[in-house]
Amino acid sequence: MADKAYQPEEQSAAMQFLDIVFLLAAIFGTLLLPIYLHLAGAATETTKIDNPTWDLLKQTPGQVAAWTALGKDPASAHDIIQTRFNYVIDWPTLIAVAVILFLYFFLLFRFSDSEYRDVIAEKFGGGKK
Amino acid sequence: MTAATTTANGAPQKISLLRVLGPAHVWALGVGIVLVGEFTGWNFAAGKGGTLGAMIALWVCGLLYTAVAMIDSEVTSTVAAAGGQYAQAKHIVGPLMAFNVALYLVFAYTMLEASDAILVGDTMVQFASDMGVTGLTHHSFIVFTVVFLVWLNYRGILATLNFNFVITALAFLSIVILFLSVQPWSQGAVLKLGEMVTKENALPYGWLGVIAAMQFGIWYYLGIEGTTQAAEEVRSPARSLPLGTMTGMITLLIAATMTWYVCASLLPWQYLGQTVYPLYDAAKATGSWQLQYLLFVGTVLAGVASANGCINDAARAWFSMGRDRYLPAWFAAVHPTYRTPYRALIFLLPVALAFALIADINQAITFSILSGVLHYTFMSINVIMFRNKWPLGTIRRGYVHPFHPIPAYILLLLCIVTFFAIFLGYGTQLIAMVAFYAIVSVWFHFYRYQYVRRGAQFTMPWPKPVGY
Amino acid sequence: MISFPWPAASSPGWFFLDWAMWILSAVFILWMLWDWYSIDSTFSEDVLTSSREGEIEAVSEKHDLRS
Repeated sequence: MADKAYQPEEQSAAMQFLDIVFLLAAIFGTLLLPIYLHLAGAATETTKIDNPTWDLLKQTPGQVAAWTALGKDPASAHDIIQTRFNYVIDWPTLIAVAVILFLYFFLLFRFSDSEYRDVIAEKFGGGKK
Repeated sequence: MTAATTTANGAPQKISLLRVLGPAHVWALGVGIVLVGEFTGWNFAAGKGGTLGAMIALWVCGLLYTAVAMIDSEVTSTVAAAGGQYAQAKHIVGPLMAFNVALYLVFAYTMLEASDAILVGDTMVQFASDMGVTGLTHHSFIVFTVVFLVWLNYRGILATLNFNFVITALAFLSIVILFLSVQPWSQGAVLKLGEMVTKENALPYGWLGVIAAMQFGIWYYLGIEGTTQAAEEVRSPARSLPLGTMTGMITLLIAATMTWYVCASLLPWQYLGQTVYPLYDAAKATGSWQLQYLLFVGTVLAGVASANGCINDAARAWFSMGRDRYLPAWFAAVHPTYRTPYRALIFLLPVALAFALIADINQAITFSILSGVLHYTFMSINVIMFRNKWPLGTIRRGYVHPFHPIPAYILLLLCIVTFFAIFLGYGTQLIAMVAFYAIVSVWFHFYRYQYVRRGAQFTMPWPKPVGY
Repeated sequence: MISFPWPAASSPGWFFLDWAMWILSAVFILWMLWDWYSIDSTFSEDVLTSSREGEIEAVSEKHDLRS
């Protein structure tokens, strides 16, 4: 059994370094770059009100008291109050995301299973059930 | 301890990490990581679905985590190996899955660490500004938080975790004191829930907003599954693990409810939905400088405790992958004096710093939550495969969770709902994160796996799985 | 705004803290880089990467029995 076992080659220092560069590129390229370029993040919209007052911002007296305690006036509270999420569901995008997620998990389990069969065959001996 | 693995002249022949943690440290690691969720992050659920939406999300996510805790207790009490869920995936699903699970852990914790650092930095700046000192920026505080904690972890984790135990307890105490000082039993004295939450604004986006709020409802509990990672150190895992995890869940549910009640009664929902430090702001809105000072200290301590635990866990997972050759073996180095995975620690330092300095806190939190939800999706399928490959009775289990497979299906359903919740408002980040995991998975399966030994990955003394 | 009865409310103190954070961060980073370099040049790669899965458990169990 032992002589049948798969013996991986040792990775050279240069190739290890290349792998580390790849990992860094993947982390920063796919995760940080979209944020840095403002492509990713919360999808919100701000509805502008000119010369805002607490009344125009529809705040009750109790809420006004809280805003004041937090050091806000109608002008500085305006953006906080008027910014809303935009929950328009774009069906083609939603379906695309669902398909991508499903494919990701499907292939993840498929590839894992093929690798797992190797592991079990080598560990317990292949062929016999 | 050291003598056992080191020769007399001090030159180690074989070096391994030291695991010298007691149950109190495990508590400090688990709760210390999670508790910061009360001080920041959960409140973005109010922004996505209103104050009432945040509360519904709080309880639905509590259900999700109860399922996580039940499933995780069974698998962890059986696969009681260091590396936690990573080792489970390796034995139950396969190498590529294990690679992904370890990355989920690394990024859930590293992004949480980044948001902790942002929280500490922003709280310092806000506190200074409340005392009339303007013109400070959060950068130096963010950098110092990350660098100092990485340095502590570099020097060894035992002292670090003793320190964590104390600051986690203090942070928790600050929530309890705030709750008791605002006279929660008499609405209208300090708390004005009826004023803040009205019929018109309770669900500003309707029921769609409640689903959307699920994204940040996760944040109340994210990381609690980490308590079971230290399975080896617990004296009787069969009893202590489910008990410990369940009581941890109940504690967090109580803390989350207290936090929600105080914040919802003191802050308008629009403000609550975007602030970085809701508990500090709630204390400020009471008008008491003592409470404001207390919650400033509590917020900073919770951020530090959480970042500290995250650095430890993320580096461990990264190190484990290096040791199995899933990543370059270079990362598998252990420091001969401090017995810490020092190269993994140093490698992850700039990653955490970059996200802490460039991303907004809600974006960093979203990356962490996404990795968490991907992880829970894996867990639900994993436990079904576990029961199929080794049916009850074939191996000794420390704990058998009841009602199988109902918790697994509930968990899977809630994960799908949460993916939809993240899609609402944060769809681009969802795509970016899945793209990242897909790219590195292809890299692993078609290229990296050639350097990995095959049969040696299976280290548990179990019989051959059914069906192979 | 609440006025704080704390001496820490002085502006120079906060800006001093800001600078101290930068300097200390640099010191810790340099210390880690120096230690990393000295360890990597003192010990061989085989010794540094000699840890194997499962051995940690053996160590921690000993600890549990002893305590």
